[in-house]
Parts: sequence; structure tokens; C-alpha cells
Amino acid sequence: MSERLPERASRRALLMAAPAVLPVIVVLAGALFAGLLQSLGLMPFTGEPQLSFDAWTTGSGEILQAAGISLYIAAASTTLSVVMGFMIAAYILAMPISGRVIAGLSAATIPIPHLIAAGTFGLLLSDAGFLARVLGMPEEFPTFVGGPWWGAAILEYGWKESAFVALVVVGSISRRVGDLCDAASTLGASPRQRILNVVLPLALPSLGISAIIVFVYTLGSYEAVWLLGPISPEPLPVRAVRLFGSVDLAARPDAMATALASVAVGVVAILAGLLVLRRFKGLR
Amino acid sequence: MTLEPSRPEAPQRLRLLSSALLAALVLSSCAAAGSNSGSDPGREFADFGEVLEEADGQTVDLWMYGGDEQGNAYVDETLVPAAEEFGVTLRRVPVANTPDALNRVLNELQAGREDGSVDLVWVNGANFSTGRQAEAWRCNWTGLLPNMAYTDPNDPLLTTDFGTPVDGCEAAWHNAQFTYFYNSETLPEPPTSLEGILDWAEANPGRFTYPAPPDFTGSVFLREVMLSTAGGADEVPLTYSEEAFDNHAPAALDALSDLAPSLWREGNTYPRDEQALNSLFADGEVDIAMTYGPARLTELVASGALPDSTKVLTLDEGSVGNASFLAIPVNAADAAGAMTVANLALSPEQQSAKADPGVWGQFTVLDMDRLDSDQQSLFTQLPESPVVPSYEELSRNAHAELGADWVTELDDAWRRSVATAP
Repeated sequence: MSERLPERASRRALLMAAPAVLPVIVVLAGALFAGLLQSLGLMPFTGEPQLSFDAWTTGSGEILQAAGISLYIAAASTTLSVVMGFMIAAYILAMPISGRVIAGLSAATIPIPHLIAAGTFGLLLSDAGFLARVLGMPEEFPTFVGGPWWGAAILEYGWKESAFVALVVVGSISRRVGDLCDAASTLGASPRQRILNVVLPLALPSLGISAIIVFVYTLGSYEAVWLLGPISPEPLPVRAVRLFGSVDLAARPDAMATALASVAVGVVAILAGLLVLRRFKGLR
Repeated sequence: MTLEPSRPEAPQRLRLLSSALLAALVLSSCAAAGSNSGSDPGREFADFGEVLEEADGQTVDLWMYGGDEQGNAYVDETLVPAAEEFGVTLRRVPVANTPDALNRVLNELQAGREDGSVDLVWVNGANFSTGRQAEAWRCNWTGLLPNMAYTDPNDPLLTTDFGTPVDGCEAAWHNAQFTYFYNSETLPEPPTSLEGILDWAEANPGRFTYPAPPDFTGSVFLREVMLSTAGGADEVPLTYSEEAFDNHAPAALDALSDLAPSLWREGNTYPRDEQALNSLFADGEVDIAMTYGPARLTELVASGALPDSTKVLTLDEGSVGNASFLAIPVNAADAAGAMTVANLALSPEQQSAKADPGVWGQFTVLDMDRLDSDQQSLFTQLPESPVVPSYEELSRNAHAELGADWVTELDDAWRRSVATAP
């Protein structure tokens, strides 16, 4: 794949992609630019536009705190998803029959909207929820929903995104892994060795890419953290939506500054992730 | 993963840029071509006859809070068929929060859209005042409505909305009274004042909480606590000023901060909204809850969503009351149809149907003295609710809402002090 395409073919590929890519670029650039103008007070609802950095300066403490929380939630959810996703993938690859059932269940998880999943986790994990009642322990039940560590939200992300990670990994290595595992087992490798020394190295690139996707998605996702997290403090997306919907028109610049901050954090996360992946490839 | 097409040469990049601009132009012209409303949205009407004429055949989008099933059912089953008789197709657009509807209007206005998709909004308070600030509401139209004659023009609830003059920019829909309710099984002898409720909450850790402002209900509770700590509703000026805020807000915020460790979950978090508080109440986690829509309690108890032992708690010092309204955005595509619906909603028939606790139970805004005896009997023959007392009893010693600026300032201060306290 790494060979350079001939000039003409690449030009044609670019032209073919243009109808899909151009509107995306126009809309994205337009939205980001409008957001920037609003955050600087240059697109007010009432009164004259006036350049002001208030939304960025006075809100910087809260934006930084929110960014920290968002990074924590994204990191925890990504770690959980990648570990669980790899385990699911290894199981699917190792078990021909029951693995197929697990693969089917994982695929069925993906189309469930996050909002529905979050609502379900709320019913399952809240203080007087289903699990607390089944276990008969309303007093000692840990505070997943609305607790200080966003436990329920991270579990929800972990549940949905691990299925995504598993399917990406299985899809990308299933062809090659069979023969290699057979070879390894003929040479006397234990199942544990096969997973750690054959499947894991093969899966690392797709794990890395899907980790970046999961990280950026959970960083910017709103529903689960809003529904399952505590009222305060709040991660970036929740703060942005709350301020955007505020009845106070003066809060709009703050909302835009928060939204742009989350875009910036997301871009940095993607670049850092790609850099790590590239270096890792170089090592290989 | 390394498929990387070679970069286009400079002239090609220019060509790309120009085609991008072209695409943008095409996109924006598509948006403009989408407007196909036959009527002029800004049109002024001389009398209600003209309104009815223009309204015939229009489709009115009523944006309203969608979390109230009885309200949804009333609109769908009673108001919609009645509007059809005037040739108006009424569509209910449910929103999670009224600010969502306002935001839609503001965004459309900012984008320069003149045939707005929002024709009518169920609104009051801060949303109304924000809309007025942004000049988002059509004004001076309620005088056209014949059914306005059934309301008292001097009723303070209907002339100002959270301190903002109504000025014909919205038509009254119903009255509401902030109401506490309690579980008589777990709390046989409830407190009878707000101060008493807070004392009781402190003495019974974990059995009380309130929705987190800026949720509508939690925000009202916060203002009620401020009036209580200030020594009564008369002590706090209705109009917001920094001085008044500094005089009265800190006491309320301190009281709530001090109370927080005794609240549900030690005040580390709060229910997100009224529904979340209601489910805590229904699950027996808390003993007292609150609502600005006491009308709904009848149905909530009847359906089993709230326990049978739910009882309304009227406080000695009374509680806050307000009216809610129907407003028309300045760019509404079907303003005449919206006015027709607003007038219809004010008719004695619709107001009494809506006041039936089995339908919606919303208190009427009409002045009984202005109705003839037939119309009055529509109201007197309504069944009584087994849970909710009459409006007269609920609104005893009632006080008015504070100015809308109080709302945002207090909510913000609460978030910064009470919610983030360790």
C-alpha cells in the first residue's frame, strides 16, 4: 500500500472524492469560523459586535478544569474499551463457534444509540436501580450514576466501544492470524503465548487506530456524561451545551469558547496518537 | 493506512479553492430556495377577521416542553381538532427544554431566515425576557384576540411576566402555583413553612434534595429559599440589582451550602430535573418533592408514577405563582394561524377542558366575573382532584416571581458556590 500512486490516478482519486469532501470542509470550516467569531463577541444576538476575549480569559479556569475531566473520562473509557475489545477479539478468533455468537452480539451492540445505552445504564446502575435491587444492597451500592468518578458513563462507553474495537481488530487480522496461530501451536506455543506473542502484535495497529477514534469520540460525546455524570464539575461538552442553551444571551461566547477548546483538545489528541503510531511503525 | 495521494500542484489548488467557493454558493442558494411560504411573515393585521382569513390553510408549529404527557395529550386530542375547524393544522413540536425552542428562533434569526419554522412557543419568565431582549417576539398582537376580553386587563400575573412587561407580545395560557408535596406514609407530620422544610431536612439526613438549577424547578426553589432567608417575599425587590443581590443572595447560598451535607447523597450531586426528583420520591429515597405544575400530580398518582400516599403541602407563607403564555416569534411563517390558536386557547371551552384534572388540570387565566353563567358553569362542574386542592387554596398568600435577571444570576451563583463546594 505504501507505493506511490501515479500522478494521474491520484488526481482522479482526488476528483472522485471531492463531492464528498468539499461540503464537509466548507461546513466544518464555516462552523469553526462562526464559532470563533461568536466566542470573540463578533457575532452577538443584540448590540454591536465588539472584540472581546472575556469568554477565553475569565472562563479559562473552568475550561481547563472541564478539559481535565474530559481527558480523564476519555482516557479511562479508551483504556477500558481497548482492553475489553482485545479480549473479546481474542475470544472470537480462538473459539470458532461460541466466538461467532460473541461476534454477533458485539455487532448488535453497535447500532444502539449512546443515549439509549446511557438511559439503560442509568436504570441498571442508579442507587435504587435494577442491580441494587437484585443484589438487595441499596445502602452499600457504589454511586456509579452521578458519582464523582463518572463510573456509569465510563462503563457505558466501555460497553459500546469495546464491541467496536473488537470488530475492527477481528476484521483487520482474522485472515492472517489463523495460519500464524496454527504455526505457533505446531511449534508448541501455549494459548496464552499465542495470544500475547502472535495475536497482540498483529492487532496493535488496528488497536491503536481504534483507540484514537474511541478517545476522540468519548472526548466530544455529550449524552452519557450529561445523563450519568454529576451536576458539577462538568466535562467540556456538557459545559458547552449548557451554556449554548442558556437563557442568558451573554453566555453564547463562553459556549463557543468551550466548544472550540474541545475541538483543540481533540485535534491535539489525534495528532499525538498518529505520531505515536508512526513511531511505533518505525520501530517495527 | 499509508495511502496518501500526492499533493495537488499549485494551480490545481487554486482550482480546488474556487470550486469550494462555488459549492458554498450552491449550498447557500439551495437554502434560500427552500422558502416556499405563501404569506408575508411580518404582515400586520387590522382586525381578527383578517387574521382568520389568512390563517385558513396554515400549518402552525407549536413548540412546547414535551415532558408532560397530559399536556401533550390535551394539545393532540382537544386543541388540535378545535384548530382544524378554523382551517389551521396545529402540529406539536416537543422540546426537552423551552430554551431549545428559543435557541431555534434565535439561530434562525441570526441566519436571516424570514420564514421561521417556529410559529408558537409555550413560554414565560427568563425565556420570554431573553427573547424580548433579542427582539425575537412579535408584539402588540394580543389586542386583536376577541377572547382576551375574558381576562382581567389589570391582573398582575398577566401584565408582567417575571417582571418583564408583557406588552401584547404573548397571550396568557394558564396559571401555575409552585407546590411542594410529601409522602404522608413516611412523613406523617410535615413541616408547614420553607424554613421548617430546611430544618427538617437537616434533622433527617439524606431524605431531601432539590433539582439542580438551572433546571426550571430547582431554580424556582432557589429563589424561594432566598425569599425565605430574607424574611419574606416583601423583603426582596422584584427588580434585579447588584445591590439587592449582594444583600439577599449570600444568605440563601450559605443556607443551602450548610444544608448540602444533610441532603440526598450528602449534596455531592443533585437530581438533574423534576423528573429525576420525582423518581427519587417514587423510589422512597426522599420524602418531599416539588413542582411548578401541581396539575400533573392527579395523573401521576392515578397512574402509579407517584405513591398513593402523596399529599400536597401548602406552606403558611404561601408560594410563588406565575402565568405561562403563548408567544409568536417575529419571523414565524404562519403568524395568523398562531394567533388563531392563541385565541382559541383562551376560549372558555378550551380553558375549562384544560382545567379538568383528568385532562390536564391547568388553572385558568380567565376572570370568572367576565364570563356569562353558562360559561361559568363549565368551570364549576369540573370534577375535583383527589390530590390537588383548588387554585384558591394553593395560591393563598401567593407572591409574584422575581425579575428574570434574578434567575440567571442566582443560578450561576448556585453553580459556583453550592454545587462546587467540597
